[in-house]
Amino acid sequence: SEEEIYECPDYRTSGPNSCYFDTNHTTPWTTYNITVMATNAIGSNSSDPQYVDVTSIVQPDAPVNLTLETKTSANTMYLWAKWSPPPLADASSNSHVYHYELQLKPEEKEEWETISVGVQTQYKVIRLQAGVKYVVQVRCMLDLGEWSEWSSERRIWIPNGESPPEKPTIIKCRSPEKETFTCWWKPGSDGGHPTNYTLLYSKEGEEQVYECPDYRTAGPNSCYFDKKHTSFWTIYNITVRATNEMGSNFSDPHYVDVTYIVQPDPPVNVTLELKKPMNRKPYLVLTWSPPPLADVRSGWLTLEYELRLKPEEGEEWETIFVGQQTQYKMFSLNPGKKYIVQIHCKPDHHGSWSEWSSEKYIQIPTDFRVKDMVVWIIVGVLSSLICLIMSWTMVLKGYRMIAFILPPVPGPKIKGIDTHLLETGKSEELLSALGCHGFPPTSDCEELLIEYLEVEDSEDQQLMPSHDSGHPSKNTKIIPKETDSDSGRGSCDSPSLLSEKCRECHTLPSTLQTQDVRDVQENKGGKTSWETQCIASEQKILLFNNETAKSSTWPAAQLPNNQPPVFAYHSTVDAHKITLNTANVNIAPVLVGNEEKRQSQYPITETLHNDMEKQREMENLHSKTDQTTAQVKQNRPNDKSPFLNPKLMDYVEVHKVRQDEQAVLLKHKENSGKTEKYTVPGTSKEYTKVSTVVDHNIIVLMPDSCIQHTSVSQEPAMETSPNLQQGQAEKNMSYCLTAPSECKRETSGSEYMDPSSFMPSFK
Amino acid sequence: CHTSGMLTPNGKEYAQKIPREELTHLILKLLQAWKEPLSHFNQHHQELPDDSLSKAKQISNMVHELKTGVEKVTEKARFSINSLNGMTSSEAAGLSISNEANMMSDSDFIHCFRRDSNKVQSYLKILKCRIMPENSC
Repeated sequence: SEEEIYECPDYRTSGPNSCYFDTNHTTPWTTYNITVMATNAIGSNSSDPQYVDVTSIVQPDAPVNLTLETKTSANTMYLWAKWSPPPLADASSNSHVYHYELQLKPEEKEEWETISVGVQTQYKVIRLQAGVKYVVQVRCMLDLGEWSEWSSERRIWIPNGESPPEKPTIIKCRSPEKETFTCWWKPGSDGGHPTNYTLLYSKEGEEQVYECPDYRTAGPNSCYFDKKHTSFWTIYNITVRATNEMGSNFSDPHYVDVTYIVQPDPPVNVTLELKKPMNRKPYLVLTWSPPPLADVRSGWLTLEYELRLKPEEGEEWETIFVGQQTQYKMFSLNPGKKYIVQIHCKPDHHGSWSEWSSEKYIQIPTDFRVKDMVVWIIVGVLSSLICLIMSWTMVLKGYRMIAFILPPVPGPKIKGIDTHLLETGKSEELLSALGCHGFPPTSDCEELLIEYLEVEDSEDQQLMPSHDSGHPSKNTKIIPKETDSDSGRGSCDSPSLLSEKCRECHTLPSTLQTQDVRDVQENKGGKTSWETQCIASEQKILLFNNETAKSSTWPAAQLPNNQPPVFAYHSTVDAHKITLNTANVNIAPVLVGNEEKRQSQYPITETLHNDMEKQREMENLHSKTDQTTAQVKQNRPNDKSPFLNPKLMDYVEVHKVRQDEQAVLLKHKENSGKTEKYTVPGTSKEYTKVSTVVDHNIIVLMPDSCIQHTSVSQEPAMETSPNLQQGQAEKNMSYCLTAPSECKRETSGSEYMDPSSFMPSFK
Repeated sequence: CHTSGMLTPNGKEYAQKIPREELTHLILKLLQAWKEPLSHFNQHHQELPDDSLSKAKQISNMVHELKTGVEKVTEKARFSINSLNGMTSSEAAGLSISNEANMMSDSDFIHCFRRDSNKVQSYLKILKCRIMPENSC
């Protein structure tokens, strides 16, 4: 077994040269081997080991509160000793059972008589000598261990049969109603003989001594002074005399002025009443009556009241001084709880408080006011209804509502940038697209800014008045408009032609996808493609029919006003082109640059001229009256073509879409002249992307792929189809999308036309 | 007490038996009897702490006001009472020798004053309930 040596945990608690082992260090039924080592500078010495068993060294403290009394019974005197067990540091050890031992001796003697008491804390000593003073002590012990020390001594004198009685003491005198009073005394030891007690009193200023008039009314050891014998504002001198055979003894005198010793009885008739006024919370009214003996009616005795209450489970009383009134209203009690209330009183001047009246219990009724409940029920029903309705609405129209509340944030789109390009990763084109001039738009088409680059239309003659005389005046009108100082704004609408709606239509960037168009247009059933708008909400704008020479000023329909010409599209040009079908040359798509010519300024006309033939050719191909096709002739490299990038070169036919159809762009091989119809009435759409917008009038359409491959066109067309789709629907729109796709571009890999190249003053 | 010689009812019954005018007269006499001793006390006990002094002054004021009030009540009730204005305190107390009131020790002074004020209070209450029984009597 291990032998660990510990050091004393506490040298201080028990004083010097001591070691205190607290509960943590004390283990019962173990033996401790304790040694003390004394060390000084020279050396050390240790004591002999001491083996200590904790349980064997238990010694309690001495008992306390030892009291002694002599009693007589059956003519014998006995001593009655009482004491208390020693107090313990921790009260938890209540289970300790002590054994006690008593020792006593007469004062003068030396030898103690020891009496074993057992576990009681009192004892009667019988055999006593009378007339002797005894000394008494007591000690205790636990089950195992040692006896405690003896308690402190107590002495008592055993009266013998012939001693005068001990001095009585007057306890108190009281008057309950300020009309009579009573005095009580406490007798002392009677000295072994029956003792008589007499009360004697005298009044202030008088020498006469009287005896108590009534010893009985108020009980033993008392004296009752009735009304006749009670005088106020006089001091009584009262003493009690104890007499027995051996002598008598007087108590100390007691001076009393009846005025100041009034202590009334407690109030009576404590009643509670619950009052329920109409508009207020119910409250409790507590009423009581003064004690019956007190004569309050004559004003002789005025009482003040005080009440106290507490909740039944509570611990502290709340005391409320009420004054002289005999009722009290309580407002602030908690419903449903039980309260205890008590009242007492005292004279308004000198005097003492009465006893508390008997406890009165108050049960506050829980007050479910109907009004409150109804209100809560209604509130609950309404809110649940609202919740139901809202959730229902959400379920049914959730999506729309959400869209309504939180409109989708349009993605950023930049004019001239073909996202397709982005996808394909042709950065060059992208950059070139970004380099368009005229950006940013200065008009008020803020909202389009995000989405489109504005391609500035340098003046423009796009809408070159038709070469064709037959050209509808519209065109002419357009042109002037075109030359508006408001350059850079293209609109597909001619001011005159266009309704306001059209005006709103912004020049569409050629490269914009129809989606953009859509966005610009907001929701016009999708048809608000720029084209359509250009077309003017009225279909009349673009009317291509062979016969009519209407030229739709379609995209030519620029926005003469400062419509946010975000889109630049070649309005006039397109329009012209579109009208080509109608044998008008007006329409020469702006984009359609003259292959031959490069002039920027009048590409239209030129192209018109040039294109006329071609258009006619085209016409043949699509002679749908209700369709307008715009042929986009690709510009041969024509630097000067304001519209066309020399590189652009493709024609794209734009088929006007019937009402219910989508616009279809046909890409048309410039060279081939083959005009394949890709139009699928109403179904397929072939589109080309608008590559750029030249000026604001010209939309440059660009097929996604090299235009030269017709087949290719389809695909890209499809992409742009959505753009055109807008045009569909109810309106006849013609899209004049001229996508001067440049072969060159393709070769260069870029499908975009550099708007800047278009920009050259297009006079 | 210098007012010990005054014949005053010693109990409720006595106080209720004597006629109201006499009771009122008695009250006034008591109040008058304390007027001079109080002022004398205030003058000669300047060494007391301030709050005691102010209390003593306050008390003598109250006594004066009380006397005034009782006199008013007397007028209203039309009691025929001999005016006491001319009396000195000693005369009111029924003392033949003046200045006796001023020779009390302080503790006696306070004790006597306490008692007499209690007397006055009790008599007034009885008087009140006899004149106007409906007010909380």
